[in-house]
Amino acid sequence: MQPSVVNDNRLNVPILSVDNLTVIRSGNIVLKDINLKVCKGEFIGLVGPNGSGKSTLLLSILGVLRAQKGSVEIYGQPPFSRSTIGRIGWVSQAASNLPRDVRITVRELVRLGTLNGKNMFSWSDKGRVKRVNEAIKMVGLEDVENVDVSRLSGGQRQRAVIARALATEAEFILLDEPLVGMDREARNSLLKLLDQLCHDSDKTILMVSHDLTAIRQTAHRMIFLEEMIRYDGPTENFPDLESLAGLRGIRPVHGEDQSHNHTHLVEGE
Amino acid sequence: MGLGSLLMDIFSPLMESIAPLIPGEVFPYFFTMELFQRALLAAILVTIVAGFLGTFLLIRNLALIGDGLAHVSFGGVAVGIVLGATSPLWYALVFSITASILIHEMQSREILTGDASIAIFLTGMLAFGLVTLRLKGGGITTDIEGYLFGNLLLIDEADLDLISFICVFSMLLLIFIRSGLLATTVDPISARVQGLPVRGIGLLFSIITAAVVVSMVQVVGTLLVTALLVTPAATAQLVGRSFRSCLIWTQVFGLSSVLLGLYFSAEYDTGSGSMIALVAAIIFSVVGLFQFLKSFISTIFSTENILDSTS
Repeated sequence: MQPSVVNDNRLNVPILSVDNLTVIRSGNIVLKDINLKVCKGEFIGLVGPNGSGKSTLLLSILGVLRAQKGSVEIYGQPPFSRSTIGRIGWVSQAASNLPRDVRITVRELVRLGTLNGKNMFSWSDKGRVKRVNEAIKMVGLEDVENVDVSRLSGGQRQRAVIARALATEAEFILLDEPLVGMDREARNSLLKLLDQLCHDSDKTILMVSHDLTAIRQTAHRMIFLEEMIRYDGPTENFPDLESLAGLRGIRPVHGEDQSHNHTHLVEGE
Repeated sequence: MGLGSLLMDIFSPLMESIAPLIPGEVFPYFFTMELFQRALLAAILVTIVAGFLGTFLLIRNLALIGDGLAHVSFGGVAVGIVLGATSPLWYALVFSITASILIHEMQSREILTGDASIAIFLTGMLAFGLVTLRLKGGGITTDIEGYLFGNLLLIDEADLDLISFICVFSMLLLIFIRSGLLATTVDPISARVQGLPVRGIGLLFSIITAAVVVSMVQVVGTLLVTALLVTPAATAQLVGRSFRSCLIWTQVFGLSSVLLGLYFSAEYDTGSGSMIALVAAIIFSVVGLFQFLKSFISTIFSTENILDSTS
C-alpha cells in the first residue's frame, strides 16, 4: 500500500493546533515546546521510542492531561468545549485496556459511543440505532455484533472500539497503539480500514504506533517525537532507520508556517 | 407512614397467598408472620439492588469496596449504640457515605491507588468501633453480633423503612444513570471525550454503594456483605454473554441464594446471613465447575488444531 495522493483543498481546514505545549509529569519534562497543526483529512503517524511522550501528547490533546505551558485548540476551542464534544474520537489500546470482568457485546459497546451529556438518561434509542448499525458496518463486524467482546480476536476487538468512536460521529480520531498484538493480516486490514475512513468518510486520523513499517504504508505525514518533535513531514521523506537513530541528537528547524513540505533537519549541539 | 410499611401493606397479602405452597416446617413462617415477612422483604430488596450494583463493582475492579464500607458501617453502628441511638443504622449511613467519598477522592486524585485506601478505612473504622464499644458500651453483645453476622429478625419497622428507602431510591438512581455508568466504567477517557460527567457519575456511584452496603448490614452482616454484592454478579459473568444477560443472571443467582439460604437457615436453625453467603458460594462453585467441564469436553472433542484453539 503506497501513501495515496492527498486532495489538497481539504488540507486547508485546520482542526487541531498545538502551540508551545510543555507537559511535566511527576517532575519530569515529558513534552517540551510542541508545535503542531493538523488539517482536515490528514492521516498522521506519530512515532517515537518508549516514554517519548506519545501518549502524553494524545492525552493533552484530549484535555485529560493539563499542560504546564502552551495551549491546545481543537476547532479553535480548548478541549471539552461545548462545540468540540462529540467531534473527537478516542481509540485506546483496547485489546489490553477493556476491563476483563465485563461481558459486553459489540453492539452494546458501540451503543455507548452514541451517548452524550444530554441523552444519557433517556430511555429511547431513537435515531441512535441507525448510527450503531452504520458504525458496525463500517468496521465490518456485522457477523459478530452480538458476540461478547472478550471472545473476539485482538483485531476484531480493536475494530469494535473503533466502531464505538465512529458512533460518536467523531471527525477527528486519535488512536493509541491500535496495532499492538495483531498478526500481519489483521494489521493490514485495520490499516486499510483507517485509510478508507480517511479518504472516503473524510475523517482525520492521528495514530500512535510502534510499528514503523506498518504506519509508513498508510500515513501521509509522519511525526517523530522524543520530548520534542524531531521530524514532522511527509512520509516519503521520513528518514530510514539508521538516520532515525541519529535524529536524537539532531534538531529540526521548521519553516514559519509549519508547512510539512519545508522540513529541514539540521545538526544540533 | 414510611416506605417500609407501605411495601409491607402491598406484599404481605401476596406472601400470605403463596404461603401454602412453601415447603419446610419453619420456612413458611417467613410468608405468614409479620416479623418474618419484614425479614424476607428486606432480604429480597437488598438482593435486587446489590446484584445490580455488584455487576458494576466487578467491572470497576472494586469487588472489595463493599467489604471495606461494611466495616466502616460497623464502626458507625457501634458509635450509634454507645450514644444510645434507637436506629444506629443512621450513624452507619453517615460513616459509610463519608468514607466512600473520601476513598473515591483519594483514588481519583491518585493520592493512594488501588485497594490501599479501602484497607485503611476498613481497619481504622472497625478498630474505632471496637474501642468505643470497650470504653463506653458493654463490649460485644447479642445486639451487636446481629450487625456483625446479620440477624434478619432484629429488623424492626423503623429499620425496614430505612432499608426500603435506601434500596428503592438507589435502584431508581442506578437505572437512571445506567448507560452513563456503563460508559464511564468501560472506558473513562472515551466517556469524558464524549462529554459525559465522568466525575459526577463516579461520585454518585460511590455514594449509592455506601448507602446500599448500610442497608445490607442487618441482612447478611458486616462480615458477609460481599456475598450478596459480588458473588451473584461474579457467577453471572460465567454464564452471561452480554451485559444485559449478565444483569438478569445476577438476579437469578442472587434471589436463589437468598431464598435457599433462608430456607436452610430456617429448617436447620443456623444464622441466616452465613447460610445465604454459603449458598451463594456453592452456586458459584457449581456453575464454575459446570462451565469448566463444558469447555474441557469441547476442547477434547474439538477437531480444531490445538494451536488454533488457544489463539
